[in-house]
Amino acid sequence: MQAGSSKARVLVVGGGMAGASVAKYLRLWGDSVDVTLVEREATYTSNIMSSLVLTGQRKLPSLTYRYDTLQRRYGVRLIVDNVVEIDPVAISIKLASGKRLAADRIILAPGIDFDPVPGLGESSRMPHAWQAGPQTTLLAQQLAALPAGGVVAITVPKMPYRCPPGPYERACLIADWLKERKPRAKLILIDANPDIAVEKENFRRAFNELYGGIIEYRNGVDIISVDPAQMTLATSSGLVRADVVNVIPQQRAAALVANTGLATDKRARFAPVDVLSYASSVAPKLHVIGDSCATTQPMAGQMANQQAKICADALARIFAGQEPDSAPVTNSACYSTITRSEAGWMTAVFQYDSASRVMKPAAASAAASQGWTRKNFEEMNTWFDALMADTFA
Amino acid sequence: MMSSRVALALLIAAAALAASQAAIAQTAISPPGRLLASNCFQCHGTNGKGPGFDKLAGKSARKLFKEMKDYQAGKEGDGIMARHAMGYSDAQLRELCQWLSQQRR
Ligand SMILES: Cc1cc2nc3c(=O)[nH]c(=O)nc-3n(C[C@H](O)[C@H](O)[C@H](O)COP(=O)(O)OP(=O)(O)OC[C@H]3O[C@@H](n4cnc5c(N)ncnc54)[C@H](O)[C@@H]3O)c2cc1C
Ligand code: HEC
Repeated sequence: MQAGSSKARVLVVGGGMAGASVAKYLRLWGDSVDVTLVEREATYTSNIMSSLVLTGQRKLPSLTYRYDTLQRRYGVRLIVDNVVEIDPVAISIKLASGKRLAADRIILAPGIDFDPVPGLGESSRMPHAWQAGPQTTLLAQQLAALPAGGVVAITVPKMPYRCPPGPYERACLIADWLKERKPRAKLILIDANPDIAVEKENFRRAFNELYGGIIEYRNGVDIISVDPAQMTLATSSGLVRADVVNVIPQQRAAALVANTGLATDKRARFAPVDVLSYASSVAPKLHVIGDSCATTQPMAGQMANQQAKICADALARIFAGQEPDSAPVTNSACYSTITRSEAGWMTAVFQYDSASRVMKPAAASAAASQGWTRKNFEEMNTWFDALMADTFA
Repeated sequence: MMSSRVALALLIAAAALAASQAAIAQTAISPPGRLLASNCFQCHGTNGKGPGFDKLAGKSARKLFKEMKDYQAGKEGDGIMARHAMGYSDAQLRELCQWLSQQRR
């Protein structure tokens, strides 16, 4: 921060769950910070709830959020542009328009990028639909066109990826829809992980009891390459052919994070941070929140929102010459659809462990629902609206 | 010349003042309990004022604390709220309940 009364300047890159939350809370929690949010899209489309678009239960417009309130109520300045470069020394960014902006701190919240899938190229025949938008619509159309007795394949990437229960809940949702709409159709769930990664009891039970004749779960299988012309997948356990293929690729922090030299975790995929302030471990005036950072916490929207609050509070203190809170707490909460009208949930509260300097789940709080209910499905809608309002309104 | 006892007393007073000023500054920047309570906002609304599940803003701190302890003890079932409550220490609960109680409804 500059001396005197001038406000500290913060640039936020990416206006998703993490970036929108941090812009809001930096302004809500003090008027001494000047916040500019740079987002490449004019509106945000929520990934959360987007699998319900595949079964026709939601439309994408109902998952679209605007930046008006952040600007009007909180005084966040918005620039709709693509950030192409970050200078970790000068603390500045370059936009696609050529413009350069400097700040006291930069918060990177650009989410994830996908690894290229060998053989896929630019084909749109095997969408991931793991970043809600045109790909979601595409996959919905492909499912609608599935022939009677057809086969759907979904691939689960190796952990860590965004929304750990996501691929399993998507499989359940689609299987429930197939039951009614596409008699005799099958769904092959090809998991690169050794076993169902989270909420195992619920998903295993659902696969067996609800979808025994529909879902075929294959664990510990890697995708070697795909052939969109033949609609085949070459896997470590043989060739799979399907009519609709949803390839969810391996994930890493958005390219911008790696290009800035921040993606230095073990596999050089995500950005290690100090979880007291989310300052990058390699460039302390750059902060990384949400799915781009490497922590012990799950990559989820609820978590991205809470990391944003920790970061906003830490920056307010830092600008005032103080230390960040030494005992931050975060939480994750995910409702997972098991059928088109019933859901389960999993949650955990994370406490800072000063000895290891990482966030650790408080044992009693880390749990999943026993089974699934209609009430949970209704609660999911309440939770979603609350979370999105806490982030964008 | 000041006696050493007076000097010491002044020094202690100055140190106490500095400490309390630092505490006030800290409190102004980040009121105790607020950051902890922000974990409730995703489900109960920003500042506990909705939209979302039951509004928490302006409820009595004692009542909130008791409700959280009831959730922890399993007296309110084994839902997501019960599990969430189990993540906090008593000291954390007191702080966040206090902060929530001070918010206007
Ligand atoms: C199907 C599905 C279901 C999910 N369900 C849940 C759930 O139930 N609960 C839950 O908690 N989480 C869920 N998630 C996960 C959740 O969506 C993510 O964890 C969350 O969105 C991460 O937030 P983020 O801000 O890091 O990234 P994002 O929300 O993806 O935001 C990143 C933003 O940055 C912008 N951006 C990127 N690069 C640039 C650039 N160079 N310049 C300008 N802007 C840029 C993007 O346009 C985007 O708006 C789900 C995800 C999926 C795919
Ligand atoms: C993951 C979502 C979630 C989070 C996070 C959450 N709650 Fe809740 N809360 C709920 C739900 C759902 C209910 C209704 C539960 C029920 O019916 O038993 C609830 C109910 C409550 C109630 C009971 C209200 C009443 O009048 O009966 C209190 C008190 C409460 N929460 C406090 C909190 C506090 C304090 C926090 C933060 C420390 C918090 N909650 C965080 C989901 C959440």
